[in-house]
Amino acid sequence: MNRIAQGLTLVLLGAAALTATVATDLYLNWVKPGFGPFLVAAGIVMALLGVLVVAAELRGESRGGPSADAAHEAHGHGEEGHDHSRAPRVAWLLLLPVLAVFVVAPPALGSYTVESTAESSGPPPRENRERSGAFDDGLEDAAPGEVVPLDLRQFVMRAWIDEERHLAGRTVELTGFAVPAEGEGWYLARLQMACCAADAVVNKVLITDRPAPEADSWWTVRGTWVEPEGELVEVSEHRFSVEEIEEVTDPPDPYE
Amino acid sequence: MPETPPSTGPAPSLGDSLSQGWTERGQELPPDDWGRRQGRRRTGTVWFFALVITAMALGNAWVSDQLTSQAFLAWATVFTAICFQALPFLVFGVALSAALTAFVPTSVYQRFIPSDAARAVPVAGLSGALLPGCECASVPIAGSLIRRGVAPAAALTFLLAAPAVNPVVMIATAVAFAGQPEMVAARFGASLLASVAVGWIWVRFGRADWLRLPARTPVPGESRWSVFRESMLHDMMHAGGYLVVGGLAAATLNVAAPREWLVTVAGMPVVSVLVLALLAILLSICSEADAFVAVSFTDFSPIAKLAFMVVGPMVDLKLIAMQAGLFGWRFTARFVPLCLVVGLLATFLIGGLLL
Repeated sequence: MNRIAQGLTLVLLGAAALTATVATDLYLNWVKPGFGPFLVAAGIVMALLGVLVVAAELRGESRGGPSADAAHEAHGHGEEGHDHSRAPRVAWLLLLPVLAVFVVAPPALGSYTVESTAESSGPPPRENRERSGAFDDGLEDAAPGEVVPLDLRQFVMRAWIDEERHLAGRTVELTGFAVPAEGEGWYLARLQMACCAADAVVNKVLITDRPAPEADSWWTVRGTWVEPEGELVEVSEHRFSVEEIEEVTDPPDPYE
Repeated sequence: MPETPPSTGPAPSLGDSLSQGWTERGQELPPDDWGRRQGRRRTGTVWFFALVITAMALGNAWVSDQLTSQAFLAWATVFTAICFQALPFLVFGVALSAALTAFVPTSVYQRFIPSDAARAVPVAGLSGALLPGCECASVPIAGSLIRRGVAPAAALTFLLAAPAVNPVVMIATAVAFAGQPEMVAARFGASLLASVAVGWIWVRFGRADWLRLPARTPVPGESRWSVFRESMLHDMMHAGGYLVVGGLAAATLNVAAPREWLVTVAGMPVVSVLVLALLAILLSICSEADAFVAVSFTDFSPIAKLAFMVVGPMVDLKLIAMQAGLFGWRFTARFVPLCLVVGLLATFLIGGLLL
């Protein structure tokens, strides 16, 4: 990989990072919203570096003269470790993320991921259950009868952990996308992301009293938790009884 | 002199406008003042890139709508997510390492880092606890430290400690394992112990010729900024390509590996620890995020989760690929198994004491 190719690759990579953040909101499909400024900074630095490298090469400034490439050819390619201004072949792979952004423009993870990880999504971590005051949903502060908007994460956490069952009988509002269930009904699901899409965890709730909408369409539902019988820990999935359902036309940040 | 390519004005429709500008520029080449031999190669390169960009613009227009395979799209999303999650950290690490090379004189290192390698190792381990950054950043920094005359064992200890015990990672761990300070303490202890132990083993048994450092030697009289630019380009190209390799492998496993069998394995005491350690290697999650993933392995024992967080920052596919890129395979083939064994021993020891 000669220096022009290295410089141009960096420019393209920087352009991809900036396109995904500044020109579009694509980056929200992959990383957390707070990560945007870092991606912008990295994109600017890479593009700038690429431009400087190409400019220096065209001026013939680098390696003390215009004979840079010629000198390297004279060196021969057998002398490993001497050919410093050329990058290894593997560096061409840096064009793959560029291709991914410009050609594929990968969407947010959705119903496919929820279905393929069906077996592994269960109750939240055991140690979380043991701690008190772990809820950040403001359910206990809300006035009785008030509709409480909850993240699916908060709802699922509440449903599985709260032994006092504060959720019972409360009308809550949830937003997520539809996933067809294998048996009866469908799931309202949302992916929870700690850092990037590679570590996304599924939160979902089963709905059986409304017809299943199209997979991956977004909905806001109002209703109540179907309080399970027996121990909360034993429950394999939680159900939701819908009072009102409304399609969301502009889906929010896909992850929570 | 031809114009340099336009810097990255945000393309309104996914690179179409950008690519058009580039194709036009490609047609203006080659300019008259280009050299004869390298000129031909350069022109070829520029044409190649013009072709790639045109192909991408066409692909954007026609192929994008055809890509409907859900599995492929999920794979592409995870791959892109890993790449773009790591990229800013890589750029930060590469810039810092280039700054060390270009602007900090060697005498500074000689003053602050003990010349005796055995004493330098713990100093390096603790200084790793001060610098926020993840694996992607620490590999090029360690390379630049070795080039600046720091004992390789100490630089390697820094390489292992910096992503594992830095303040950002510790806070992330404390958030993920809220109410379990012993997990944070165990992670700090086990990671630091393992990093220092690897350093000391390297002092005793390591050989300098295993390390291949393809450093570029600065041309005398070269300006500092040009040293900075060149070493940044060099590290970016060597580490970046391998980051993509790691991202490809990790995304494939992430999407293709069946998670169901993990549940069966979780019940077995030692096997479950080894399985989570293996998973940490394969998934290659950034150390700043791995605590959140570790906490999601509901059915596994605390020691197994500790192994996930101790082994992950020391050994994973992405790291192996990047180390091979910067230090060579002769080094990597020895260093990686050593880190794995020492990391697991430290996990069992500290985990046994604290958890």
